[in-house]
Amino acid sequence: MIVEDAVGPILRMCDEVESVIRAIQDDNPADLEIVDRGAYVRVQRRGFLRVTRGSLERHLGAGFQMSRFQSIMSAFAGRIRTSSDEIVWYLQSASISSKENPR
Amino acid sequence: MALMKREEWEDLVRDVDWTLSYADDDAVFPEWQSGTGKIPREAWSAWEESYKISYPEYVSIQAEKEAAAFAVKAALQRSTIFSSLDEGWKSCAKVHFGGVSLAEYTAFMAEARMARFGLAGPWRNMAVLGALDEIRHCQLSLFFAHEFVSKDPQYDWALKAFHTNDWAIVSARSLFDAMMLAGNVVDTAIQLPLVFETGFTNLQFVGLASDALASGDINFANMISSVQTDEARHAQQGGPTLELLMKHDPVRAQWIVDKMFWLSARVFAVLTGPAMDYYTPLDHRKQSYKEFMEEWIIGQFIRTLQDHGLKKPWYWNEFIEGLDIWHHSLHLGVWFWRQTVWWKPQAGVSKAERNWLNTKYPKWEEIYGPIWDQIIANVNCGNMQATLPETLPWLCNACHLPLCTYTSSPDGKYRVRDFPLTHNNYTYHFCSKVCRQIWWEDRDMLHVKTIGERFLAGEIQPRDFPGVLQYMGLTPDVMGDDAYGYKWATDYRELLGPESSHPRPNSIRGRERIPSEALSIPINAKFGNDFVMHVVVVNTSDTMAEVAQRVAYRSVGKRVRPQDRDMVVYYEGRAVADNESVSQVGIGPFQQIFVDYASDSRRGR
Repeated sequence: MIVEDAVGPILRMCDEVESVIRAIQDDNPADLEIVDRGAYVRVQRRGFLRVTRGSLERHLGAGFQMSRFQSIMSAFAGRIRTSSDEIVWYLQSASISSKENPR
Repeated sequence: MALMKREEWEDLVRDVDWTLSYADDDAVFPEWQSGTGKIPREAWSAWEESYKISYPEYVSIQAEKEAAAFAVKAALQRSTIFSSLDEGWKSCAKVHFGGVSLAEYTAFMAEARMARFGLAGPWRNMAVLGALDEIRHCQLSLFFAHEFVSKDPQYDWALKAFHTNDWAIVSARSLFDAMMLAGNVVDTAIQLPLVFETGFTNLQFVGLASDALASGDINFANMISSVQTDEARHAQQGGPTLELLMKHDPVRAQWIVDKMFWLSARVFAVLTGPAMDYYTPLDHRKQSYKEFMEEWIIGQFIRTLQDHGLKKPWYWNEFIEGLDIWHHSLHLGVWFWRQTVWWKPQAGVSKAERNWLNTKYPKWEEIYGPIWDQIIANVNCGNMQATLPETLPWLCNACHLPLCTYTSSPDGKYRVRDFPLTHNNYTYHFCSKVCRQIWWEDRDMLHVKTIGERFLAGEIQPRDFPGVLQYMGLTPDVMGDDAYGYKWATDYRELLGPESSHPRPNSIRGRERIPSEALSIPINAKFGNDFVMHVVVVNTSDTMAEVAQRVAYRSVGKRVRPQDRDMVVYYEGRAVADNESVSQVGIGPFQQIFVDYASDSRRGR
């Protein structure tokens, strides 16, 4: 793992992987790292990463329910917080700006 | 009609606790099950799951996952993929099916206990979904394996393994019973969802999936990564429970995490380590086991624990050193005792594989090379009997794995050591200081007799190796053999010559003498730099020369190159005279001795 304090989802092999990665890139334009290991892909960033329903709908079609994200995420790094509009991965003790940290 | 957002209504349904009036709270949530300890009862109202999901969402998503997993299975069922899979890779799947399928059912029981005795309503809801998850995982594993039973009876062990006393299952069952069933539900929430599912299962279900896919086993890769999507959700029961524990009783939190981390790491070293570094075909290995551990456990899991305020476990240096050792020793043990497992271990030491091992593990050749060289010489000379076990290794009283852990010494050499503990006039043996400490602290819970102890107590009959195989439930049609029929050893044929076979010298007896029952005692013994300690039964009237013979019989010519030199017995750190008897020296039952060639003997005790 290259990124220090890496957080983010580990996506399993499925048809939607590329679209999900593009959605995450839209929501996290800077410093995103993608590690492809075939059966799984790590999408990670230092300390804080989010994906919104808006971005997922743009890439996967209107009406995407955030709960569906679960079926393509095998694991994740860091802590998670879920809502109907976004999923956030974070570390409380990571050295990132308070604006990004959800707590 | 637009649906309301979940946040607008979920608080009405996620916490359905009420104040009990017809029964005492203590009666409904007894401490021995609910385990709140120093956490005040009212503090549990703050428990909040971070990964929220409603029941309708759960049902809809699970149906989708099931449909996807079965669609892949159905599509591949008529293909010829199975017959083209590498035999070494198939062993990865067989280890998984046997070692995991019914552990999933045990996990269901753990989830069901949390669903009943958890002290927060939202936690109990999460645990209900977790229980349904685990039933799904158990059924998936059994069903996917069942397809292959008609082609290979070893797959039948997906269902059978946990109903046997196979040594690997005794070890796994001891871990899972302690983790999932023996403790109260607070301990369970830290041990199972937090340590095991947030940490270690990722290695087996996600890490190994990448090796599976590369090896062409799309069906298996799809199944295990589907299973882990459930784990990612229900494992989140651990976080909020840990937060409460860290606030009110951080010492308890640290101890539970440390203990379960170590015991999990030990079992994964035999479950996942050999699969990744020896069974998966070389061309298809994505990373080494150590690299997967660094990615998933050291890089990811430990960072999350630290985020919760936990420290690295007290034994961190031993754990890191073990990443270069544990699974190599255990693999060697599994391969040598291959008749005792339900899969076909791939030796994984052809020249190309050995180069890979040496690249990934720079100490491998120094520690394991000479042992494999002796085995290879025996295979190439057709001396197969010398590549098979006749007796039992000594097993650790905490992790139930053989005493085969090399640790470094001040002189830079690596040696296998025994860590004994005498308690109530009985000597227990451990593979490491950490196993010994965990056992001592939890001695009332971790008290399953090892296979060796059962053997010595006469619970295994007949009292010989065929009797042991029978006790473990292994029949000739399923007992393991080398995955490739020893073809890998032909790599070393050019070494074949009069000097290469290193046969057992005449000075080592051709067959073991049976000690007289009345005067015999079991001892724990190791020869030279062999990788494992053995159960050896000696007569109290045996001289040290005879004891040396008995110990040498288990190692010399099998894994230790014979030498034309005298042997010396060491007891309590000192060399003992050849003509002294066991009773004169004062060696008692279950005590440990070390035997080596004379001029080399001072180096490892």
